[in-house]
Amino acid sequence: MDNVIVAKSVYKTFKSGFINKKYVNALKDINITIKRGEIFGLLGPNGAGKTTLLNIFSGQLLPDKGQVWILGKEITTNMPLELKTRINMCSGNPNFPWSLTVEENLKFFSLLYNIHGSNCATAVDKYIKMFGLEKVRKTRYDSLSTGNKQRLALAKSLINNPEILYLDEPTIGLDPDIAKKIRESILRIHQETNMTIILTTHYMKEAEELCERISFIKDGEIKALGTKYDIMKLTKSENLEDAFIELSG
Amino acid sequence: MHSLNFLVKIYAFAYRNYIFAKGNFFAFLEILFWPVVGLLSVGLMTKFLNLDKNFVAFVLTGAITGGVLQVTQLDVSYSLLYDIWSKSIKQTFLAPVTQYDYIIGSWLIGMARGLTVFVILSFFSAKLFGFIYPGLIISIIFLTGIFLTGLMIGMFVCLLVMLYGQRVEVTAWSLVALLMLVCGMYYPVNLLPKPFVIIAAFIPLTHFLEYYRSFYGFSPVFTYSLIKGFVLVIFYIILLFILLKYAFEHSRRTGMILRLSE
Repeated sequence: MDNVIVAKSVYKTFKSGFINKKYVNALKDINITIKRGEIFGLLGPNGAGKTTLLNIFSGQLLPDKGQVWILGKEITTNMPLELKTRINMCSGNPNFPWSLTVEENLKFFSLLYNIHGSNCATAVDKYIKMFGLEKVRKTRYDSLSTGNKQRLALAKSLINNPEILYLDEPTIGLDPDIAKKIRESILRIHQETNMTIILTTHYMKEAEELCERISFIKDGEIKALGTKYDIMKLTKSENLEDAFIELSG
Repeated sequence: MHSLNFLVKIYAFAYRNYIFAKGNFFAFLEILFWPVVGLLSVGLMTKFLNLDKNFVAFVLTGAITGGVLQVTQLDVSYSLLYDIWSKSIKQTFLAPVTQYDYIIGSWLIGMARGLTVFVILSFFSAKLFGFIYPGLIISIIFLTGIFLTGLMIGMFVCLLVMLYGQRVEVTAWSLVALLMLVCGMYYPVNLLPKPFVIIAAFIPLTHFLEYYRSFYGFSPVFTYSLIKGFVLVIFYIILLFILLKYAFEHSRRTGMILRLSE
């Protein structure tokens, strides 16, 4: 198995304010290696730095210090466009251009990933069908239910058949039955494509169900890294929820 | 292959702007209502003042230019603002897009809307106020200059938004009015105080207006209007593309794009 993501000694600090400058150390000395085809979980309390790390891995944020390689290419200072065609991301509470319908949104994003002509129409149809969006394909984004918005976000994140998929709290705020269906979709996609998936979540059940390895982050630092059994052993806990409480304390 | 990808992404942004504009009441107001109301008020004022037909042409040129320019530059500004309002900018820039794709794609729709405004305002100007155009070629050259100026202003708005966030979005609607004031919307620029005349010399719109008005018998304040206008506008556009690239890199460092998506 080759490494698709390598992060070495990554630091990120956010500054705010003009006169009274405030500094927030979002990430401190992060070292992670993620293998091709695994589902890797980033767990941690609110404000731990999970999303910041995911944004660095997706090239949307630059680290202040350290080095990051994605699919063998260093992205510490520059994210090559070619690399962007090989990754994608789905966030919880997603946002899309509001006046575009489901179909139009998927077409727009297909075009952005250079999928055009009959390939675009095929891809749009495929993902509308895969996520059960047929009945709302002509519905504007701002008129969709929360569940359908999340389905559209997942459909969009697969439109370019990415090698790495980042999922940032993909089931946050969803009803349990919809969250379950989303988790099932993620597992199915992973089984069918062997895509590398990096997932951030608050829900321990989700991490237990999906993730092969987990990194627990708190205050911008990695507190534990390994399989769920390694983490339970490390914290002497019987399940991930107890391990989470132990590590958050 | 590379140029095909570029064209596909330009088409993507043109497609998105088209969907936004289609059936949008505000887009209708931008194209029809505000420019026509502006033209009618100015045209009626010229009647009240009983102006000579060349002076009427001088003033109406300003009103037409204002309408066309505003609509064209708004579409370019919207290339970022639509994403910011819908908080989807993070999704867009996650994809392999460059500043050229979203700016040029949006500009295409801006030019189409600008041309529509030009045709509508020309019709009203000719029918109601006896405005006669100096010729097709001259009008095409003038319109090209206005479209490029619209691109330049829209890019400047995008640059400000990328650097300072949504709080500066008001520039999308106010910048054209400010520029028209300095460039001699309804008067020759030498009526302005000296420092503003110097500023006007560095704004391409001044030269395009002077070029067009020269066909109604008004001598330009500055020489070589057309050459200066095109050289300046192309220089600013190249500079703005470079600055936009820098601003995008800067926003990746500060997290501005992510903040605009929250």
